[in-house]
Amino acid sequence: MTDATQSDTAFRPKPSLPPPPNTVGVIGWLRKNLFGGPVDAILTLLGIYVVYLILQFAVEYGILNAVWTADTYRECLDINKGEGACWAGIGAWFNGMMYGRYPDEEQWRVNLGGIILLLWLIPFWLPKVTGKIQVGMSAVLTFPFLGSALFIGGDLGIFLHVMAAIALTLFVSVWLHVTLCYVAGKSLPQTLVSVTGFADKDDRLHKYVLMGAFGIGFVLAMIYIGTWELQEVPTTIWGGLFLTLVISGIGIASALPNGILLALGRRSKMPVIRVFCTAFIELFRSVPLITILFMAVTMMPLFLPVEINPPKLAMVIVAVCIFAAAYMAETVRGGLQAVSKGQYEAAQAMGLSFWKMMALIVMPQALKLMIPNIVGSFMGLMKDTTLVSIIGLYDILLMGKAAGQNPSWLGFHTEPLLFTAAIFFVLCFAMSKYSQHLERTIGGGYGRR
Amino acid sequence: MSTGFDFLNSTAGFSIAWSIIDYEAGDTYFHVFLVGIANTLIVSFFAILATTLLGFVVGVMRLSSNFVIAKLASAYVEVMRNVPLLLHILFWFTLSSALPPPKQSLGWLDSFFLNNRGFYVPAPVPGDGFDIVIIMVLLGIVAAYGVTVWATKRQFATGQRFPAFWTGVGLIFGLPLLAFLALGAPLTFDYPALKGFNFQGGADVPRAFCALLFALVLYHTVFMAEAVRAGILSVSHGQTEASYSLGLKPSWTLRLVVIPQAMRAVVPPMISNWMNVVKNSSLAIAIGYPDLVAVFMQTSLNQSGHAIEIVAMVMLFYMTVSLTISAALNYYNKLVQIKER
Amino acid sequence: MKKVSLLALGAGFLASLAFTPEPVLAQDSTLDIVKNRGMLRCQLGTPAPGFYALSDDGKWSGFDVENCRAVSAAIFGDPDKIEYQSVTSAVRFTAMANGESDMLSRTTTWTLFRDTQLGLDFTTVNFYDGQGFMVTNDSGVNSAMELKGATVCVLTGTTTELNLTDYSRTNSLDITPVVFEDSNVRDSTFFSGGCDAITNDKSSLASTRAKAPDQSIFSILPETISKEPLGPVVRQNDSQWKDIVLWSLFAMINAEEMGINSGNVDEMKASSTNPEVKRMLGVEGDLNKGLGLEPEWAYNIIKTVGNYAENYEEFMGPKTVMNIPRKGSVNDLWTKGGLMYSPPFR
Repeated sequence: MTDATQSDTAFRPKPSLPPPPNTVGVIGWLRKNLFGGPVDAILTLLGIYVVYLILQFAVEYGILNAVWTADTYRECLDINKGEGACWAGIGAWFNGMMYGRYPDEEQWRVNLGGIILLLWLIPFWLPKVTGKIQVGMSAVLTFPFLGSALFIGGDLGIFLHVMAAIALTLFVSVWLHVTLCYVAGKSLPQTLVSVTGFADKDDRLHKYVLMGAFGIGFVLAMIYIGTWELQEVPTTIWGGLFLTLVISGIGIASALPNGILLALGRRSKMPVIRVFCTAFIELFRSVPLITILFMAVTMMPLFLPVEINPPKLAMVIVAVCIFAAAYMAETVRGGLQAVSKGQYEAAQAMGLSFWKMMALIVMPQALKLMIPNIVGSFMGLMKDTTLVSIIGLYDILLMGKAAGQNPSWLGFHTEPLLFTAAIFFVLCFAMSKYSQHLERTIGGGYGRR
Repeated sequence: MSTGFDFLNSTAGFSIAWSIIDYEAGDTYFHVFLVGIANTLIVSFFAILATTLLGFVVGVMRLSSNFVIAKLASAYVEVMRNVPLLLHILFWFTLSSALPPPKQSLGWLDSFFLNNRGFYVPAPVPGDGFDIVIIMVLLGIVAAYGVTVWATKRQFATGQRFPAFWTGVGLIFGLPLLAFLALGAPLTFDYPALKGFNFQGGADVPRAFCALLFALVLYHTVFMAEAVRAGILSVSHGQTEASYSLGLKPSWTLRLVVIPQAMRAVVPPMISNWMNVVKNSSLAIAIGYPDLVAVFMQTSLNQSGHAIEIVAMVMLFYMTVSLTISAALNYYNKLVQIKER
Repeated sequence: MKKVSLLALGAGFLASLAFTPEPVLAQDSTLDIVKNRGMLRCQLGTPAPGFYALSDDGKWSGFDVENCRAVSAAIFGDPDKIEYQSVTSAVRFTAMANGESDMLSRTTTWTLFRDTQLGLDFTTVNFYDGQGFMVTNDSGVNSAMELKGATVCVLTGTTTELNLTDYSRTNSLDITPVVFEDSNVRDSTFFSGGCDAITNDKSSLASTRAKAPDQSIFSILPETISKEPLGPVVRQNDSQWKDIVLWSLFAMINAEEMGINSGNVDEMKASSTNPEVKRMLGVEGDLNKGLGLEPEWAYNIIKTVGNYAENYEEFMGPKTVMNIPRKGSVNDLWTKGGLMYSPPFR
């Protein structure tokens, strides 16, 4: 009896009812996200219609009416009467739009350089690798020399030879380091020290071991690079996407350090430095890039002695670097302002010097906050490099224009532009996705939850 | 090669397709400089205006709960900001070639016409006494300002509110309207009419202007929208809740609590965006809109050969405009920033 | 205040740039510079069909490119020791003035202003052109005088822009010019009806028409509204260099007149009895001395580049997209009623 009573009086909730059918599943999602009210419904339908129109046109122009094989633009026109794309031309001009006038038989050098750079940067994505900052610094500081040695070729000259050898040594060390991190779980310096039996010696001796090892690698690299026999490819015939990437790559790599220096200069307490940095930033930020490029390419040679006469590409790169630095300086300044005063004061109270305070306390916080803006500036710079076409550098855009003036491809004009747009979209989209990834991983703790 | 600014007084022998200030072939290079400046400023002005308004709309759209709208807005943002502006400008110009030729213009009320040359509207021709209407507008603005000041003072003193905004609107529009009607509507219109190849009379903007404006607005709206979105998200929800619990209406909460705080984060990127609009209008040359760079740094430079002087003048102009914008907005920024004591 | 002083600073900086005295180029002769460098720097424009086109493997070719090759052949005996520079028309003269280019060989019209006030010297004319108009057939326009109130597409930085204005003012045509920097955009604007007519040198109008999906609906109006003598340009005050460029062109024209071409030049050199041919090909006399070149300079030009007629056929003739007939035109030899005339090789 008691059992029954107990089971009758015990609190037993009824199983909860299923949610109303129109709030779950596909229908619920639709109601919640698409048809919340009459205005919402109209907006949704309008939106879907717009997407439909765009897709319809894209499919008709780009696929249904497109011509995939033809030898001249005239052939394309004869087939589709200009109502669809002529992708055959992109095929014919692909090489030109990628490498410009770089000789066909030497293009492997550009590809090799690109692969080396990618390999150098891959350790960033490998979680077990230690010392990522050093890896990144080695790539940014020395790859340009290795790259120019490879891309220009010919007689390297002693400076470029040495720098390229240093770069090559570092590159090999980076990958030895990565392999060791994964195989032995130790970094390259640790391994070197223990292998040579110096592990239990004084720390200062470790340095000699590392320098010795680097020296051996450097000599080997010097000898190896000495055996290169590369045909000279002057910068005047570089072009296409390759040129775009060279200009924007150097601009991007130099923008952050220069921008940080300028931003610090602008906040400096020394009036000379402050006024100079402020004037520099405001001057270069307030005029269009095209006028700066114009000045650099046509005016500067007027003021330099004929013997110097630097190549046009060097002038353009300097101009782009200055421009990028001025923009980056303002971004960094925004970040610096966002770091609270307490952080500076605490760092000073700990007795850190100015540079240590900046490098260890302030900058990491400021840069973290500014990741989206920094990457935004990088993307802006990459897009702006298309302006070099106006002063006659054969970047991807100007190569595309040249295609339409070639006797066989007369009038081939829209497709290269679409192709260029697509390439930029892919590059910039990847950058923006990477920035979002960075924001999530290293920006953690500051991001909105 | 001769140097110096003497060439500014010599005759420029070319004509300019469209300008908002009078120009004819035979005027001086200095006049060309002014025409270029006027054309650059007019397109930048409209672009900045539209960018700012549309930027707010798209920024809010990205935060919308409607799936399609939010996705559409973010697709728009991604497509726009990942492709160089020059390509956007060429795209809109090419697209506008689908408009009909002048003889088959899209007309509206027989006074507005759109074709592949441009957009034609009736031009107002002021009659006698129209000056008084304009004076009334100025009077209205002064009176509205006075009313606002008075109303604010009264509210601080007594706590009573006065609908200063609507009174102001009434004054600015009402006074001139009354004067206009009292004077017997002294305004006629010059209608565009098809003559020969194209429309004559009326006022017009060329197709290149429209395409440039479209491209500039659509491109820069993205950056404005991103700034607005970040600004709104930066205002913590606690602020809204606190304001509700104080008894403020939702519209007041938005106007008095959320927007002022959001503007702090919106203004700095908005400054650089406005500056970029002015600078980027220099890409107009690609589609034949006669802006400063096109008429001065291209055509005039080519015909006169004074490269250094011309580029220097162009740079100086952009510097002036950019620094003016940034000075004005920095001043505003100082007003709204949190005061750290 | 800060902004204002900053602006003043910028203005001062720019003004000082503008008033900097004329830079003095080194006094070396251009020939020495070119020889030391081992390369001729020759300036072309951005690609224009017929005159200078870029192929998909990055090679330049065209009627004006042949001038560069001729000069290179005359100096080095090799027509391809050239660093081509391709710049937009806005910066073409500055690139000459600042010493970047050694010669300019692009469709540049010889005018008094350009010859005297830009620090440049025009050598001679290698192509006589004239400005014309092209319209669609269904516009019903048969003469340029009927273009009253029309919108006309034109390229920036050219003499065509000035000629159009002059023509419009002279004949009260009230033409609206729409100025483009890129000829591709200009042409597609015209094809889609964005202008009533397009104006340019007649040779270029032919290539514009060749771009259209349907070429038969366009016609070039009969009027030629200007003289457009096109030819290579060098920097002022280097008369030896000017002579080299000038006589390289004359060598090609004279070769045609003498009946020498790249095919028979070896034979002519070995067996011709005509003293002028012998002098020109460096068998007799020392005509090369004054130019500072090798005796076989003209032979090298004809052997590697060809004579004027060969170049014309290859890039402008009926087999090309340009399709500009030469017979009886101003560009024919003077002996056939044209204007192509070389001073004697003596």
